[in-house]
Amino acid sequence: MTKSIYGPADANGVWVYLEHEQGRMESVSLELLQQGRALADALQTTLTGVLTGYALGDLPAQAVACGADRVLVAEHPMLQPYTTDPHTKVVEAMVREGRPDILLLGATPDGRDLAGRLAVRLRTGLTADCTGLAIDAERRLLRGDVVGFGGGIVATILCPEHRPQMATVRPGIFAQPEPNPGRSGEIRPFPVELTPDDAPVRVLERSVSDGVDLTRAPAIVAVGRGAHGDLALIEQLARLLDAEIGGTRVAADAGWIGRDRQIGQTGVVTAPKVALCFGISGAIHFTVGIEKAECVVAINTDPEAAIFEHADVCIVDDMFAVLPHLIEELSRLRAEVGAS
Amino acid sequence: MSGLHTIVCMKVVPMPEEVRVNQETMLLDRANARSIFNPPDMNALEMALRLKEQHGGTISVVSMGPPFFEKFLRLALCMGADHVYLLSDRAFGGADTLGTSRTLAAAVEKIGRFDLLMCGEESSDGATAQVPPGIAEWLEVPQVTYALELELDYFNRRMQATREIKGGHELLQVRLPAVVSVKMGVNEPRFLDWSLRPWGERGDLVTTWTAADLPVDAEEIGAAGSATIVDGVHQAASPERRRELLAGTPQEEAHALFERIRQYLGER
Amino acid sequence: MMSEYTRTGRKKLWFDLMSEAGIAAGDDDIIVLNDDSWEQVMAATHGEAAACFQCGVCTATCPWGLVRPEPVIIRHLMRQAQLGAPGWTEALWLCTTCGQCSAQCPRGVDISSVIVALRGLAWGEKQAPAGLPTLMWNLYWDGNPYGRPPSQRAAWSDDLGLHEFTAEDEVMLYLGCTANYDQRIQKVARAVVQVLRAADVRFGVLGEREPCCGDAARTAGHTGYADEIAANGSKLFREMGVGTVVAISPHCLDQFVHHFDMPTAFRALHYTQYMGQLIDEGRLRIEGELAAKVTFHDPCYLGRRGGDFESPRDVLGSVPGLELVEMPRNRDEALCCGGGGGRMWLETPASERFAEMRVAEARATGAEIIGTACPHCVSCLEDSAGSSMRVADVAEIVAWALAKTEPAAAEVAP
Repeated sequence: MTKSIYGPADANGVWVYLEHEQGRMESVSLELLQQGRALADALQTTLTGVLTGYALGDLPAQAVACGADRVLVAEHPMLQPYTTDPHTKVVEAMVREGRPDILLLGATPDGRDLAGRLAVRLRTGLTADCTGLAIDAERRLLRGDVVGFGGGIVATILCPEHRPQMATVRPGIFAQPEPNPGRSGEIRPFPVELTPDDAPVRVLERSVSDGVDLTRAPAIVAVGRGAHGDLALIEQLARLLDAEIGGTRVAADAGWIGRDRQIGQTGVVTAPKVALCFGISGAIHFTVGIEKAECVVAINTDPEAAIFEHADVCIVDDMFAVLPHLIEELSRLRAEVGAS
Repeated sequence: MSGLHTIVCMKVVPMPEEVRVNQETMLLDRANARSIFNPPDMNALEMALRLKEQHGGTISVVSMGPPFFEKFLRLALCMGADHVYLLSDRAFGGADTLGTSRTLAAAVEKIGRFDLLMCGEESSDGATAQVPPGIAEWLEVPQVTYALELELDYFNRRMQATREIKGGHELLQVRLPAVVSVKMGVNEPRFLDWSLRPWGERGDLVTTWTAADLPVDAEEIGAAGSATIVDGVHQAASPERRRELLAGTPQEEAHALFERIRQYLGER
Repeated sequence: MMSEYTRTGRKKLWFDLMSEAGIAAGDDDIIVLNDDSWEQVMAATHGEAAACFQCGVCTATCPWGLVRPEPVIIRHLMRQAQLGAPGWTEALWLCTTCGQCSAQCPRGVDISSVIVALRGLAWGEKQAPAGLPTLMWNLYWDGNPYGRPPSQRAAWSDDLGLHEFTAEDEVMLYLGCTANYDQRIQKVARAVVQVLRAADVRFGVLGEREPCCGDAARTAGHTGYADEIAANGSKLFREMGVGTVVAISPHCLDQFVHHFDMPTAFRALHYTQYMGQLIDEGRLRIEGELAAKVTFHDPCYLGRRGGDFESPRDVLGSVPGLELVEMPRNRDEALCCGGGGGRMWLETPASERFAEMRVAEARATGAEIIGTACPHCVSCLEDSAGSSMRVADVAEIVAWALAKTEPAAAEVAP
């Protein structure tokens, strides 16, 4: 068997790789601190945050406030912005020294990019895009739930002999911690040795929009093929509901919504209180993106659209006939509330 | 003669809706599932074909799987690929992404020089997205995951890649050779060129390798070369929904809907 | 002497030659005449393309001239085909193969077959419009143009208790991809089944094994693939001992009649033709009355291209109480619904849809119902009719009469 650098006997601690963008911690990293804390407590061990970048400001302190007992901080100009090779090299060095039992990363594009390479470098196991994490107390093993086959199958994955047990975790699954500024923890700078040879990839441009994060939206209005690209009423509705606009792959392909607003298997998985789906047929690769919604509303002209199986409230009608009336009632309510 | 040498890793997967969990054995049952090419791999192949149209060169398709993969891989020849390498051996079976990426990397080592190695971002069955970065690590070359577009500067041995990141995208400059995983849906894969069908049947265009043919040890491949195991599968449960049908005129429907979503408003 | 084959062993096509000569495809000033493509066009049209003498009647009759400020200049496409200098213009993909041009052509040239042949050449040059490669892959992987799972082809009909065709059945009822996967057309299929049962016909279906007829591939110009589909389909029909096939879509009928390789005794009928037979034989008696004014829209593939204008009218004429009124453009002058020639899978802006005009023409007759006999016509006409007029396939009208009910207001399509 291919062996990892060290085994279960020498492994200790839960580590979380913390992603950040322009001075702000990524939501998934906060979610991982919350979940990591629970896993560390179950194993009666410590939680370490891993921060790699440059000019990190108060991010390390934030990590402590959100549950980390210790934060390893590696700062170097070559670590900003993220590219694969320098980050892999630095985290590998940290792991070789610290020998964690578990290493979690967010299943973001950069997180999966790093995790995939790092796991092979460390010759260890990696569980991808987990939707559930738990500890098998008897065997002291991490159990990761993953979804496959287009969302139809859930499998539980173990990494029995290799360390660290690595996993990337789907954003939006776990809750975020309440920061406790009074919490104390160790912030430890980690020495970084990098040369230009360590960076075969150069970032020429990096553009991140002002952050539409559908995973945290409490209300979502989603459009599909049936909207025919006409979003004026949808935008009005979204404003009235304080909702984010999302859509299917069809809507994103057609350019009606940005790719970052695409909901589903290869888009974003959301967990709003209410999701209103207009003109969406309801194929499984979309519905996995709204499964966690508290209330799903579906409006479609096709009485046999699959979306109705996944909805709490169903309207078989033309969305453009229903929307004006809904908007009118909501506007009236808003005016009343505003007046009082 | 020099020219752009591209390797495209492709996988044949079962149609997702036809895979079931056998309730007795609690194992995946793919026996009745029809097979297709993994959709993002088609996008990767299409991107490779466009680069070939631009820069010339050759495309080799590499795939790890049982013998029945061959008839699918020959379709890639009919789309414009030049050669197929099928890695087929029981010893490769049961591999997780560690073992799979090791095996594919070994085949690439044996094929020799390449400029680009392209894969779909993830496969529709396992959906880990881990094999492309894994191959890049084994081969010790740079990687670009979730690529949207590539522009080659072949003579300077580098390329510019547009890559998707959370909330946006970035433009990278990357030294070649490199591994690229391609975002699903970035292009429309061309259909088969029917005039190539007879050519696509030629025996010398498909090379099948077993474990003995590859520069790997038995403990690096298959289940032996894996670090993770599957400890149970079940059919995903969808939450039970109320499926309450509102009927009437559009105005009545809107009103009934309004009444039901009121509770989710407020708390501004 | 330069090789006829590329480095990878593929036979060179005209664009390889152009590229070797340093000419980019699409250079407007340069027309490279090519014998190979001329030969292909001649072969595909059985020499007919040579007969065109550029009179322009085709351009004048083409329905696209009714919805666009400038007509589609078919005459130019014909000229390009004759010169062996195909142009990859949008116009090539607008054709619905309605055959109106051929019906008026003084030389009877089958113009749509020239256009389909040009489309075939365009595929070779990767000039097919976006969406069509995906259509082909849908056919390839899923056996239907909609990309719907093959395992669900027959799922909708479980409650109908249809049985799998055996050689003992009188006919094989061929439902087709649209009737199996499109919820609206499933209703047409149900009506056909109802009527056949009322006539005590012993029929079977192919269920999940039913192959696509290949019309989508053929009219999109992918002759090679369409031929393979037809060959496989013929083989299956022969193995199963199909003597007579009854089709719901005239497009499927066209494939069976012109492209399937079947024994001489094999008969392919549209269901209206079969129903006409059953009525003549006294097996189908429609006794219930349906007091409605109906205007019949001739599907291009049954009427102009299939040569049958009367079968559906005869069936409708057998429904007591039904008043048949004709639109000005009827029979061989019928205006195409816009769905043929692969157009069902390409976007047409609402202002350019033939069906809009056709529905207006139907309304002007005072009829309450547009009757038709093709799934694509039903879809296109209903899309344009909205709630202003009822669109129904002949089988649905007959089924209503059999059930002695009137079409209820609630059933009007949205």
